[in-house]
Order: sequence, then structure tokens, then C-alpha cells
Amino acid sequence: MQQIRDFIEDQFLIEFDESFPETSDLFKEGVMDSFGYIQLIRFLEKEFDIKFSEQEMTANVMVSLSLIEKTVSRKLSESITD
Amino acid sequence: MCGIAGIIDPSRVADTLVNDVQNMLAQIGHRGPDGAGCVVDNGFALGSVRLAILDPAAGQQPFSDPSNRYWLSYNGEIYNYLELKSELEAMGCRFQTNCDTEVVLNAWITWGPDCLRRFNGCFSFAVYDCKTESLYLARDRFGKRPLFYVRQGNAFYFASEMKAFLAIPSISFEQDAGQLASILCVWTPLPDQTGFKEIKSLPMGQWLTLKNGDLTTESYAELRFDEEPQPNDEHAAQELIRERMNRSVELRLRSDVEVGVYLSGGIDSSIVALLAKDFSAKPLSTFSVEFDDAEFDESSDQQLISEYLGTRHCAERISYQDICDQTPAAVYHAEVPAFRSAFVPMYILSDRTRREGVKVVLSGEGADEAFLGYDLFKETLLRTSWDQLSGEVRRSRIQELYPHLAHYGPEDTAAMTGLYQQFSKERMPGLFSHELRFQNGQFSTRLLKDKNTPLAAITDLISSTPDYDALSPVEKAQWLEYKTLLPGYLLSTQGERMSLAHGVENRCPFLDPGVFSLATAINLKFDDGLREKRLLREAFRNRLPDRIIEKRKFPYRAPDAAAFAKHQPDYLDLVLSDAELAKLPFLNAAFAKRLANKVLTKPASDISTKENQTFLYLLSISLLHRSFVRRETLPRATLPPLEKVINLQRETAA
Repeated sequence: MQQIRDFIEDQFLIEFDESFPETSDLFKEGVMDSFGYIQLIRFLEKEFDIKFSEQEMTANVMVSLSLIEKTVSRKLSESITD
Repeated sequence: MCGIAGIIDPSRVADTLVNDVQNMLAQIGHRGPDGAGCVVDNGFALGSVRLAILDPAAGQQPFSDPSNRYWLSYNGEIYNYLELKSELEAMGCRFQTNCDTEVVLNAWITWGPDCLRRFNGCFSFAVYDCKTESLYLARDRFGKRPLFYVRQGNAFYFASEMKAFLAIPSISFEQDAGQLASILCVWTPLPDQTGFKEIKSLPMGQWLTLKNGDLTTESYAELRFDEEPQPNDEHAAQELIRERMNRSVELRLRSDVEVGVYLSGGIDSSIVALLAKDFSAKPLSTFSVEFDDAEFDESSDQQLISEYLGTRHCAERISYQDICDQTPAAVYHAEVPAFRSAFVPMYILSDRTRREGVKVVLSGEGADEAFLGYDLFKETLLRTSWDQLSGEVRRSRIQELYPHLAHYGPEDTAAMTGLYQQFSKERMPGLFSHELRFQNGQFSTRLLKDKNTPLAAITDLISSTPDYDALSPVEKAQWLEYKTLLPGYLLSTQGERMSLAHGVENRCPFLDPGVFSLATAINLKFDDGLREKRLLREAFRNRLPDRIIEKRKFPYRAPDAAAFAKHQPDYLDLVLSDAELAKLPFLNAAFAKRLANKVLTKPASDISTKENQTFLYLLSISLLHRSFVRRETLPRATLPPLEKVINLQRETAA
């Protein structure tokens, strides 16, 4: 999951630390905009060979690093069990 | 068009004020290269530089009544001055000139501040009443003409542009981190903001009184959306649009010099050009910017209109190099941080316009705000009705929103739907329509060490506005546009500051009060708002080529960071060098440098809109710091030919 953190830090010019924890809402903090969001989704789908459903993307699960990591882990484990 | 400046300081005698006011005028000489004038007395000085447009021989300023009790320094045009003059004559006023300046002064003497509501025009002015020792400042309802002021103890200074204050050594230009946070988040200064601690802007639609040391401001023109009844049907609505626009353009052609038109290639300026041609006996001159970069270029539509109307067309082709070369000068004239580079080509275009011998132009600003031209309004409608829409409708509406942005394309619609889901409920009270914009704006506030509370000022502004809460979501969106982007960037940084930099006056027929009130009465009454400016288009369908009528809104943009990345002008040192960045005490230098490095080295396709914007903010704030705070690389100030100097203590005239 380090690559997600690296991507976000590099792409959005931030560093996760005590003042900016992994649970920060990336939209509310003004870190991610629509362009960045699309970049992130494309990156995750390519990097982990997964596909997000529209339902997943409308359920507010992709707004912070911790939620994104959780969602990606779940999808990866689902694809293994499948 | 003119520039005005003045000083009120009870502790100073007349002789000591002459130099100061003339030095202030020299700083804004570009606004009125045809002549300068001033009046001084113990305790006050008024001055103006003028661009002679109506009755050039008689319009010298400052202007007084026969008793010399009232003195006026006036910047602007009152388009309905002939009608007001007749009214005043019927009340017994006698006029010596054919100039609107004299009408303004008599209107003020006759009606007091009530005259402001009667004015249809763009103006800012100062009236000094020698008898009561009172100063009055006033500004037009949409904020077309600027007016700034500074108060230091008993001393009060005002001017059309802030650079006039460079002539007063005691006035500092310290940048205000709190205001900058608001500007970065909202895109523009709010109506009273300037970005500098000591300097205030008189908001649009207000007048100020300074008497016995007490300063008060009052509004005379609140923005209302319920001033006119809805027409019976769409046919009547279209007929009214044609009538009001005809009258508006006719009034704005009142001039003793040639009036040209800025042609963007879109529907708004095409309508203006069409109507201007209807009223012009001589061939109309039109002016446009073209771009080397096809992504921004609208030259084929500009040429289509020019040929269709038979205009004398002058096009200025803009390269990346031009943007780099002219940005420092354009920022100096803009005086406030800018979030995009599109104002720079307008600086270049006004220079060309003036060289072509034209000093008045009409343009299409104000149409998108009045007739719901921006995608922002459609986006507001979509997000407002989100919960009632099916998935299929949501997806198709999203795809239609911003077709010029690649990430709104079909392959990313699902992700976009997810994004919009998050913005379907109001999270910033009163600011629903602008939440995506302001959310993105918060990224730019990372340029500051202390982000403060960037939305506090705009939240205060809407909270203190009577009846704001009662507006519909789309009306709130319009209200916000009329108080932020329109006056704070389009009319100023991209509009009159660029045109007046070269002595060109711009007039906006879509900002006629009658056009605005009509638009508010017909918007969303005969359609669902999904086709932007539909009624306006239909009103002129048979008078313009179909290609223009059907053309989708093409936002006027220019190459942003890509231009600087390509040519790497020397002044980029301001945003790349640690030593330079350290000169701005409020800046988060580490973030600024990281951003500048990314934007100036990565391919343009990797740079998001908000990164582009943030880079432009950083660059413009740094250039403003260099010019205004450090007072380096300032152009030489030149006072236009002195036409009138009156020292009321000596009663001598030059």
C-alpha cells in the first residue's frame, strides 16, 4: 500500500504526518479536485488491476488515504477469494 | 475615461498638497493621457487625469459649480446623461458644456446621493463640498470603475488605482495574509478587499462620506432578482431582450470618438458587434486575440463574424513568448493576485487597439452572469436536483457539463458520479453553488504559512446581505459571481485595468441595469437552463450565422503555466530561488518551491487546473511583492499635460 501513499504525496504535493493524518478528507482539505480524483482512480485501477464499480465510487469510500487503502485491500482479497 | 486621486488632511495647507496630488496622478497617467488637473485648498486636494471622450475641449477636471462650493473629480461615463440633463434643465439647472461631467455634478447638487440610482453607467467619483468640508466618494452598481482608499489618522487618500499611493511614502503596501487566504480560495478579492493591509476598495453600489473625521459607507444598489415581472411568454421575452440590448448598445455608443468592439468569437460579443453595426454610420472596427496554441484559439469564429458584419478587423496573435514577456507589466497594472494568465493577452490587445486609433470599445462581459452562460449554473442545477435524478440522467448530465475538460469524458463518468455524489448536499452554508470551486481553492491556500480561515470573509459577506437566504440556489450562484469573479477579475484584472493601461475605455452593454433586471425575470421561466443562454441565442437567431448561435460556451482561456515552463523567463527566479521566496514572510516556501518545480518541469497534461491556478497566484503575488512592497522595477511615472491647477488659497489658475 506504500505506492498509494507515494502517489498521493507526489501527485498532490503533500506529506502525511501528525498535522495531516491519513484519515484526512482529501476533498475537504482541498488536496484533491476532480482532475486529481480521476488520476487517482486510474492509478489504482492500473496499479492493482482492479475495477471500481459506480456504487463504490458514490459511497464516499475514496476520500482519505486510510479509506482508499481499506477499499483497495478489500477488493484485492475479494479477487483472491473469487 | 479618467483616473482620479485626492487627499483630505486637515493638518496640511494647500501649498504642501500640490506636489503630492500631482505625484499620485502621475502614477495613474496611463488612465488619462490627454490631460491632468487638480484643485487644492487648505486640507484637501482633488485631481484627475482624463481620457477625453465627450466634448473633449470642455471636459477639463476637476469640475466645479459656479460658486466653487462643490468640486468633482470624475472617472467614467453616465450613458443616460442626456436624459438626466433634460430633467435637470427642466428643474432650472443651466449647463455650460456638453459633457457628462457637468451632469454628474449638477445631479449630485440637486439630488444628493439619490442621484446614484438614476445613473446608468460605469463610474467612480469624488465630490468635495467646501462649505461643509465633506468628501463623498461613489462607485457604480456593478463595480466597473475602481476606487481605493487609505486612512491614516486624520489623513485620507483615495485613487482610481492603488499605484497612486506609491507617491505617498507613508503608505505601506504590506500584503495581508488573511486577505490573501480569502483571495486564493475564492479566486478574487471580495468587494472591499485589495490584498494589501492598509488599502481598501470601495465596494460596488456604495458611496462613502468623510465628514469631521467620521467615515461612513452606504449601499444604494443591492443586487436584486425580483425587480421585474415575468413576461407573458417566450416570444415576449425574446422581444424584450432585443429591445433592451438595442437600447443598451445605442446608449453606449454615445461618444465623440470612434467606438470599436472586442470580438471573442462567442455569442455575446457577436450580439454586441451586430447591434453596434446597426447604429454605426461608419465601418465598425473589431479587435480580437488569436493564439498560436489551437486549444485556446477562436480566430475562425472571430473572422466569420467580422466578415459577416463587414468590420475592419484587427487580430493580435499571442504566443507563449508574448505571455512571458508581458506578464510582469500586466500584473503591475492588475495590482491584485491573478489565478490565470488570460488577462495578459488583453493587456497586449489594448495596446494594439490604442495604436489603431480607437480609445473606446464595447465588449460582451456580463452576459454569462445575467443569462446563465456559465457551466457553473448547470452544475448547480444538477447538484441541487441530484437526489431526484436517476443514475442514467446523472451520468448524461455530467458528460455535458464541461466537455472541454478531458476528465469529464465518458470513460471517467462513473468516477465523476462518485465525486458529485459528495457534493450533492450543502457543506459550506450559503455557498452550495461554489463548493467545488472553493474546495479546489483551498489547495491554493497551501501557499500560505497560516491558511487562516479562507472562507470567513465571504461567509461574513453573505451573512450581512439582506434577503440572501431567500434566493434560489442558482440566484445565489449568480449573486456570488456578481460579487467575486465578475468585478474581482473579469471587469478589473482582465477588463478595465488592462484596457486603461493603454488608455482604452471599455463599455459593457450586458451590464445595463435594464438588461440585468430583464434577465432575472426570464431565467429558468421558459426552459430548464440546460442549454446555456438559450433565450439570448434565440432572440438573435435570425440575425447571426447559425454556427455562432449554436456555438457552445467556449471559456476564454490562455496558456497558463505551460508558457512559463517553455520559455523560463528570468523572473521565475522569484518563485524558484530560496532567497527570493524567503522575502515573502507569509509564504510556505517549501510548498511554493515544490509546486513551482512540478509545474515548470512536468508535461502540461500532468498539471491540474488547481496547480496551474496556484502557480499563477504564486507568480503574481511574488511580482506584486517586488513592485509594490519592495518598489523594484517600477515603471517611470509621467504626469499627462497639466491643463488646470487651481489653488483656492491663491485663486490663481494655470
